[in-house]
Amino acid sequence: MLSNLQISITKTFKRELKRMVSRPIYFLSTIAVMTFCYVFFLTLFSEGQPVRMPIAVVDLDNSSLSRQFIRNLDATQQAQVVMRLHSHKEAREEMQKGNIYAFVEMEHDFASKAISNRRPTITFYVNDTYLIAGSLILKDITYMTELTSGAMQQQVLRAKGIDESRIMGIIQPIAMDTHLIGNPWANYGTYLLNVMLPGVLQLCVLLITVFAIGTELKDRTSRVWLETADNSIFAAVTGKLLPYTIVLTVLGIISNLLLYSYMHYPLNSSIGWMFLTTFLFVLAYQAIGIVFIGLTPVLRDGVTMSAFFGLFGFTFAGFTFPIEQMPYVSRIFSDLFPIRHYFNIYVNQALYGLNIGHSIVPMVALLSFTILPLFVYHRLKNAAINQNFPIK
Amino acid sequence: MNHSQYKLFSFHQLILNIKDTLIIFAKEFGSVFNDRGVVILFFVASILYPALYCSLYRNETLVDVPIAVVDGSRSLRSTELLRHVDATRDVKIVSTYATIDEAKKAFDNREVHGLIYIPADFNKKLSNGEQATISTYSDMSSFMYYRAMMMATNYSILDMGKQIQVERLNAQGFTGESATVISNPIPYEAVILYNEGAGFASFLMPAILILIIHQTLFFGIGMIAGTSREENRFHELVSSKVHRGGTFKVVIGKSACYFLIYGLLSVYILGFIPHAFNLPHIGNPVDLMILMVPFLLATIFFSMTVSVFLPNRETGLIIFMFFSLILLFLSGISWPRSNISGFWQAFSWIFPSTHGIQGYVKINTMGANIHTISLEYLSLWGQTAVYFLTATWAYRWQIKKSSKKYQKESKEETELITK
Repeated sequence: MLSNLQISITKTFKRELKRMVSRPIYFLSTIAVMTFCYVFFLTLFSEGQPVRMPIAVVDLDNSSLSRQFIRNLDATQQAQVVMRLHSHKEAREEMQKGNIYAFVEMEHDFASKAISNRRPTITFYVNDTYLIAGSLILKDITYMTELTSGAMQQQVLRAKGIDESRIMGIIQPIAMDTHLIGNPWANYGTYLLNVMLPGVLQLCVLLITVFAIGTELKDRTSRVWLETADNSIFAAVTGKLLPYTIVLTVLGIISNLLLYSYMHYPLNSSIGWMFLTTFLFVLAYQAIGIVFIGLTPVLRDGVTMSAFFGLFGFTFAGFTFPIEQMPYVSRIFSDLFPIRHYFNIYVNQALYGLNIGHSIVPMVALLSFTILPLFVYHRLKNAAINQNFPIK
Repeated sequence: MNHSQYKLFSFHQLILNIKDTLIIFAKEFGSVFNDRGVVILFFVASILYPALYCSLYRNETLVDVPIAVVDGSRSLRSTELLRHVDATRDVKIVSTYATIDEAKKAFDNREVHGLIYIPADFNKKLSNGEQATISTYSDMSSFMYYRAMMMATNYSILDMGKQIQVERLNAQGFTGESATVISNPIPYEAVILYNEGAGFASFLMPAILILIIHQTLFFGIGMIAGTSREENRFHELVSSKVHRGGTFKVVIGKSACYFLIYGLLSVYILGFIPHAFNLPHIGNPVDLMILMVPFLLATIFFSMTVSVFLPNRETGLIIFMFFSLILLFLSGISWPRSNISGFWQAFSWIFPSTHGIQGYVKINTMGANIHTISLEYLSLWGQTAVYFLTATWAYRWQIKKSSKKYQKESKEETELITK
């Protein structure tokens, strides 16, 4: 019995290998897409954090003190002074053009006020339309200003003869020591790519699964397909999808290797857990792909469903905007997306290196998606035999 | 006589051309509305997607992120500081633990996304006039947790620190103005422009809205072209066979149909949605309309050009779906444009979405006018011109190819009959 099934699966598997090389779409929608994304994302985020972003100064004072301040600004890690402008209006325009992300304005009597203890003011204007650029620059220039004023305070207090041991307690009574768990340098590559690459992979899995099956229905070759598998829809689907399971799991493992071995993003557990998760992740999305094409069972509708479901995966992974801060229904809804469970396992294992026990529930969740195709078993088989659905 | 005849002829020709174009234009509505796939992309997706995304990201920033505290000091000062943290909008203290190890368990179970540790010597150091240090631990699985944690703790510490500073200066004999000067020698003010609340939706959604227009148009046009290819005839060719040189008419007639549909959809996506979901919308509607004309045209002609190479109706979606993400990153809205390498910047100039997003965001969110964004505006017109030519060329190539096939077929048929 078992060997019969094996033979049917093997026959379908071989037939599928031939189909895969018959048209470029199979290669383009999997290997080519993922390769493009490896190159694109790894080069785009190679910096980790954007550095030396353009800002401007409106220095109405133009004194040695204000120029010193500008040099300090330019020396910060994230900002780079690229323009010296003469008016607020001009600076606003450069900002609207997108040439600068922030500008710093110093009043015309900046130095004279500083010398005569009349407290000169500085104003930062930051463009948070570009949220990442804006907030990083604001953090950096605020820190720099605090340092500058700390140095001024130190000078004044020393001059007044305050005991050195008390000076820090006056300048900054409470200090803060920040720990960024899992991603100590707030690397955007770590943060985004650990979900972006699996995100693109799930799109590939869904679309190619729906396409591989749907195209048999559309081209009216489904009977041949089923005959090759000796009329077992189980063997037909398994044999057909097995080549993709292998190709897509390998692509997913290449992502893991690129992230953890090549880019050295945090990996606090065995990489084996991420490999296993990637494999389960591919299986889960293949199962969903079968359900989509089984339900419709029209290629174009299956593709549309996959595209929508796949794109929402990026939102429901909950890595940019956390799920629990979304409307209540979306929290339940997010469990229907394997990428959500993948994300949880990644956080537990790679990012935090927790005991694997923490990841058992999401792993079981991923595995349980593979039961879903049973619900479309008959529908898919009937569609393959009767070919009674529209092709368009 | 001859001269006026020629004039009459060209006028007549013009009328005929316009009539043909109008027929193609009207017919294209048929291929849009009779195709469920295209209707889903053009109407269902572009109407539902903006509303769905906006409702998911309705909270612009995180509210009451659950955090834990370990208060080793248990003093009046530490209690006051924690109360202050708890009172912020950003975080909420949900549990208190005796040791860091216990708190770590709650953190590992993801019950809390941050931890504040106040050491035992906190109050003692403050009473002795020394600098006290507290520690914070942030969940980096989402940077938004980190941000909420930093906002809440920074604000509370600075506020309390200022009070203590004044007390200490007073104790050292500095009062009034001199105390103020020492405590804050360079007062600074940070003004956040355009997205004042540093909101996530206000930052991301405007870009997504343009991307939705760009992508649904691209995939929809790809689907229409794939369908006509599958049906193995160039259905607009029927009319262009009647009048020679029909390529222009085909391209103009079809694109006019898409332009009309998306002109109306843009009013909903870019006009209604930002108002309904309270996204930034300080742009001048006239400037927006002026920008949208070349954006829509460039996108339509770009899509028509690429669509010629799609053999089937599903091909576009299957191969290019992932590109929506690539286009979002290429636009320079999230990862700053200044930090995108020259190669990828040049690559981004291929796609109308890049300048479309930048132009739209600058007008809509930052209140720029059309002159400020002349770079984007002119680039979009440049793309319109280039892609109009490529679309015409690609269609001409297709028409020639299929008319050759027609000729061959009819030749064979006649041969068959004569035999």
